[in-house]
Amino acid sequence: MSTLLFILFGALAIGCAVAMVAHRNPLYSAISLIGVFVSLACLYMMLQAPFIAAVQVIVYAGAIMVLVVFVIMLLNVEEEVRRPARLHYLIPVGVILAAILTAEAAFILKLPGASSRADVVGPQASDVGLTASIGAGLFTEYLLPFEVTSVLILMALVGAITLARRTATPRLAASPDFDIEPPAPSSESGSVIQPGDTEATGQAYAQLQIERGEAAAPDAGKEGES
Amino acid sequence: MIPLSWYLALSAVLFTIGVVGVIIKRNAIAMFMCIELMLNAVNLTFVAFSSYFGDVTGQLFVFIVMTVAAAEAAVGLGIIIAIFRNRESLDVDDASVLKL
Repeated sequence: MSTLLFILFGALAIGCAVAMVAHRNPLYSAISLIGVFVSLACLYMMLQAPFIAAVQVIVYAGAIMVLVVFVIMLLNVEEEVRRPARLHYLIPVGVILAAILTAEAAFILKLPGASSRADVVGPQASDVGLTASIGAGLFTEYLLPFEVTSVLILMALVGAITLARRTATPRLAASPDFDIEPPAPSSESGSVIQPGDTEATGQAYAQLQIERGEAAAPDAGKEGES
Repeated sequence: MIPLSWYLALSAVLFTIGVVGVIIKRNAIAMFMCIELMLNAVNLTFVAFSSYFGDVTGQLFVFIVMTVAAAEAAVGLGIIIAIFRNRESLDVDDASVLKL
């Protein structure tokens, strides 16, 4: 029964992976990749790791793929054009090297003694994959990697915002309709700064500008002295 | 019961498909998804070993790998958006030089 399930989900994973590489439209590739993630989550369930399976579905098939599909939609990606292969002589070389690598792997697996190392008893019924044991390991023995991970997430957050913002060099935060030119001196005699005015007059002038809507914030009072 | 080597073989096949995808794909987003596939293949190895040897460390490592993958997704897609904004293309051949 479990062998049948392994073959089913393994074939599904490999098929979806091949479809992902074969498709030219990135959106179809993304959907195939979701198929790979879901079948891998089923394999995790068979390996008695329900927590990892749930996180796989939630984080990978949920969050990350939503992000990827969103970017595909945002950028309106067109299909890849088929282009002539360059470096034709490399194709037979690649085939030969792949065959050698496969033969090596098969040879290692067929070595006497190798199978006894690779084929241990099998997943025992244990509480290894449960959320409680993972949480206990994460918050006691592996607390430092966990905290470092949170710092990494923070750096990724800042980096993503910095990379994706519209301007390459960050400008100082000013609203786009903010008038950079100094306000023209008004003709009213009360608001023109005379020589000999004190700080109180300047503040009064600034207050007047704020009331008229010419200056923005309370801490923009320096505007009045210009 | 399924031998452990089956899981390892499946993981190796998935990883190889990911490597092939990274090599033959020209679209930056498609290459990005192939990298995700490689990460998942390694995760399968971790979970298989963790389950067969009854040790929780492998699954903790998978958790951290998933976190790194999420961070990589955020930063990578930010880079892809920046490249697209500068070059109007997602083809990595168009982005082969650093200057504009």
